[in-house]
Amino acid sequence: MAPSIDYHCPCLASSPAPPPPHLPSSSYSFHPLHELFFCEECDAVRCNRCVSVEVSGYYCPNCLFEVPSASVRAEKNRCARNCFMCPNCRNTLSVVPSDPPDMDDGRGSTAALNAVGEPPFFLYCNHCRWDSAEVDITFEKPTGLAAQLQKHEDSAPDSLEFERLKEHFEPFLRASSSSALAGPTPASHSHHAHVNPITAAASSALARDIPGVAKYAPHPRGRRDKGPRDEMSEYRSRVEVGGTSAMGEADVDFMRRIEEESEVAAVEQRWANSWATSLRTSDLKPLRIPLHSKKSKRCPTCRHILIKPEQKAQSVRFKIKLVAANYLPSMTVALPRPLDIVRRGARPPADDPSGTPGLHAGSTYPFQIALTNPLYDPIQVRLSVQRQIPPAVSAAAAAAATEGGATEKSRRPPFAVSLPSSAFPIAAFAEAWEYEDDEDMFGVDGDEFGLESRDGRETQGKAKSKTVGVLEKRANVTIVGGEVVIGKDARGEVKFNMLVSYTYRSDDALPEDEVRGTPSRTSKAPEMKTFSFSTAVNLGPVVPREENRMDTD
Amino acid sequence: MSVPATPRKPSHAASVAATPATSRAANAHVVQASPHYQTTRRHSLYGTEDRVVIDPGSRVWKVGFSGEGRPRDVFSVGSLWGLRRAAEATERDEEDRVLEARLQAYLRDVFHDSLLTDPKSRKVIIVEHPLLPLYVKEMLAKILFGNLQAPSISFASSHLLALLSVGRITGLVLDCGNLESTVLPIFASRPLYPQLRTTPLAGARFTAHLCALLLLFGTYLPPPTSLSAAANIPVATRSMRVPQEVLTEAVLEEIKTRCSFVGEPLDPSSDMRVMSPSGGDDSMEIDLPPSDTAPSESDFSRVSADLESNVESQPASSGFSIVSRSQIAPERPTRGEGHLQALASMYTRHSTATDLHIKVVPPVAQQAGTGKGTLIIPGWIRERAAEVLFEGGDVDESSVAETVLDSLLKVPVDLRKTLASSILVIGGTAMLPGFIPRLHAELLRAIASSPSSAARPPMRPDRPRPPAYDRYAVLRPLVPHFAILNNPSPPAQPTGARGSANAGKAPAFTPAAMAWVGGSLAGSLKTGGAEVPREKWDEAEAQQDPDDSANFNIDLTHHATPNVIPDWTRSPLPIGAPPANPPPPIPEASPRAAVGA
Ligand SMILES: [Zn+2]
Ligand SMILES: [Zn+2]
Ligand SMILES: [Zn+2]
Ligand SMILES: [Zn+2]
Repeated sequence: MAPSIDYHCPCLASSPAPPPPHLPSSSYSFHPLHELFFCEECDAVRCNRCVSVEVSGYYCPNCLFEVPSASVRAEKNRCARNCFMCPNCRNTLSVVPSDPPDMDDGRGSTAALNAVGEPPFFLYCNHCRWDSAEVDITFEKPTGLAAQLQKHEDSAPDSLEFERLKEHFEPFLRASSSSALAGPTPASHSHHAHVNPITAAASSALARDIPGVAKYAPHPRGRRDKGPRDEMSEYRSRVEVGGTSAMGEADVDFMRRIEEESEVAAVEQRWANSWATSLRTSDLKPLRIPLHSKKSKRCPTCRHILIKPEQKAQSVRFKIKLVAANYLPSMTVALPRPLDIVRRGARPPADDPSGTPGLHAGSTYPFQIALTNPLYDPIQVRLSVQRQIPPAVSAAAAAAATEGGATEKSRRPPFAVSLPSSAFPIAAFAEAWEYEDDEDMFGVDGDEFGLESRDGRETQGKAKSKTVGVLEKRANVTIVGGEVVIGKDARGEVKFNMLVSYTYRSDDALPEDEVRGTPSRTSKAPEMKTFSFSTAVNLGPVVPREENRMDTD
Repeated sequence: MSVPATPRKPSHAASVAATPATSRAANAHVVQASPHYQTTRRHSLYGTEDRVVIDPGSRVWKVGFSGEGRPRDVFSVGSLWGLRRAAEATERDEEDRVLEARLQAYLRDVFHDSLLTDPKSRKVIIVEHPLLPLYVKEMLAKILFGNLQAPSISFASSHLLALLSVGRITGLVLDCGNLESTVLPIFASRPLYPQLRTTPLAGARFTAHLCALLLLFGTYLPPPTSLSAAANIPVATRSMRVPQEVLTEAVLEEIKTRCSFVGEPLDPSSDMRVMSPSGGDDSMEIDLPPSDTAPSESDFSRVSADLESNVESQPASSGFSIVSRSQIAPERPTRGEGHLQALASMYTRHSTATDLHIKVVPPVAQQAGTGKGTLIIPGWIRERAAEVLFEGGDVDESSVAETVLDSLLKVPVDLRKTLASSILVIGGTAMLPGFIPRLHAELLRAIASSPSSAARPPMRPDRPRPPAYDRYAVLRPLVPHFAILNNPSPPAQPTGARGSANAGKAPAFTPAAMAWVGGSLAGSLKTGGAEVPREKWDEAEAQQDPDDSANFNIDLTHHATPNVIPDWTRSPLPIGAPPANPPPPIPEASPRAAVGA
């Protein structure tokens, strides 16, 4: 996996500090920059886990019909025109007449509204050759197919049974609610504190004292032989499960005799059925295509709109789009080719690692971070490593720690990272490049971040200056170098949290610039502001050293 | 090794044609013209009355709108939580963080992708399994109220909701899910929580057992190393024991949901005696009463239970070594495999189920070959893997049938007949074809055979003997009344048996969907007068004065402020009838605490 930098959204965190990147749970808090939003009101990063989402329109992803929201519910969130999926392979189905004119002539899409030919029409899968005539679904006309089928859905046995159940319970509930309990009184509740809320009304209409429940005060019972009964009248099912062959002996018999697993429909193809249905693959019905929605996204804190798509189904553009990439410098991290490595360790690892890719335990590697400024003004950036774990544990603990294991809490990071310690500039986006104030930035870098000397291995300041610091500046991109010293016993991945702070010129009033979302285009009295955010840098997995060499030092 | 040995019935083709698929419930009414369209239209606007109904299982979620007969979406969530949490605090915190993040992602998907609706305008009904861990429940509430800003949440008992879906408010409900099978009696819409009984014999155990059986008795054909090899080497030569890596979770799930079913109970027959060695080196089998097949079957499933833990952690080498690692093998070194082989051959003899060949991804070491490997599943494994759910006699792990009966034993005497005649079976594992009819047979068998358990030797030296009394004697008079409401193959009616007339009278909703359908029904009937509004949650979050809550007409006022979410394990349970039997190992007052511990 290529080295990566992900950006932190603090919405899941209980504390402002970012989670240690080696915890599996941290992956939910760090995101690629292009997935993040930025709220100007709150001056904060927002992610897809915290923004509040509103539906601003429905459309069919296949025919792109924009469905009015009033009919979405009745149509069960699915396309009510001519769009169907194959029950076997989920491919889009085509409408074909009974005498297909010829194979392979432009039946690519379902929009066969103009299909000509002889009725009856049926649905056909170009991918797996399923066809709806096999399940007795044919149409007299090639249009409005879904509406024709939906009538069947609405008269499906589950719907009809459901309505009968409602009719069964409704009079009972009406009776009980008139008898007291539209709004439950405290008295009724103290009686049976844990009665389920859903049927509190129902149950309170029934005998209060049930043997074994509450007070165990047996009523004088009229007909002991029948035992106590609730007051619900008998429900007579419209279709009794015992009167069908579904799920019973016929299914067992079928299962006993199958020759191929594929004769039985996959559980995913069956489990949305609430009604006992055939197990057989050959009985599967075509599926109407689920609608998609256009989603607006708002800041969860201030309700400010962050994303607002254009209404048209065909459009992939946005009326408002406050993406974090327009506000935060984008960063990529790279490890130079192995040949470029400046190795200063006392000894190279067991086998010369320079030939093989990856980070080898016991070696030191430079890495480069390229930062791109999206703003129309230059910024000053400062990077620092965010330490998570108190470095007070022995190296043995680090050796014992396994990747993603449970012992990590007491582990010191088995590597040390150096970053340029002072701020460096990045030129503005798409404006004049001729900044020349950079020379002073070179050569002052290279602090001792995390580079406590261990195991007698000294770090050489002058060697470091070649790798740690600003390496290159061009246009609105600045490339800085860092360095990682990997412990002899390191395992797992080299991941660390990096705090990024940048200072920019702020103009608070910028109404006409919203779409572009850049906070600093107009020229007013410049006010400098600093914004900080956390990232997780992943340089990749460590190639552990040979086991036998671990004992020799 | 003989490969495809199971004989097919010659009448195969004819019987397929004869299967009355057209009489299935699903197809019976599809074409009927219906006045129902009108009733659906009534709701055609997205009124805020329609609630979102979520049935959040540990593996599968069902979501939809109230007032509809089926969920809008059903999806797998992998495995969200288990029976155990990490004991160590930092580890548990991390587990919780991951779980919360995953729950959040799924809940957001429910509203934004499955239902395409605004969570801020939707009241939510959560279908709550009685043993849903409290911490999970609180996470769900936190996300729904906090992240999604839902206006209110109702938690409703899954068992009770399932009863609503068959038009009742009284019944004995068995939920055979993934982690546990749970029995809860409900009278007049009140769940009798003190009588709740559970067993770990459920879907996950079935899968583990299936895996063990396939390792021992399945056959694997690696992909041929070259095309010419495929042609030249006979299948029998290529076949080998099933490598562990082949049996991935997905493959096992596939076999479970697409290949497995539940056969009838085996009649006690001469097979058992034939099987038992006459030599006398194995005292266990000599002691067997010939009429009771249970002990040896139990052994059979126990082995797999022992295997299960070993198999998980061991790199696979061969099935044989796994057998030797099982706990039983060292105790009875000469027995192990031979005994299992005898059982396997007995099942083979009694099963007419076809062997199935399925394509599987070969282990990494063999992937140099061409294409996929073949797993041969013996027909008897497809039919008999479920035996593990029906094997009883263990103090810690009652069979599913025993769990039902144990709950019934705890129920006040004058409710027993009513409940015995209205048993409802729900849950994903109950979807196995043949499960419900088999359960009915097992209920009767357990009642009939309970005296003989006294004569049984202990299953294992380290387990206590089963109780020596006639456990279910008091239930024996109820036998004619036993009825499973949703039994698709109700037994023929003996004349005069009034109670069992209920069998098979439930509507043909599937066991897996019943709780969701009941939630939809409850939502559309607007019986949910009591719910937790978001304001209440926000208040509690802000740690405000509980007196401010007086104007909310819900029964939360007697909870301490932080406990906004109603929970039956927090309320003091009512005093029930004195137990008829010594209490079972499950702590009565706080089963949930035990789960969470
Ligand atoms: Zn966020
Ligand atoms: Zn469409
Ligand atoms: Zn297809
Ligand atoms: Zn904001």
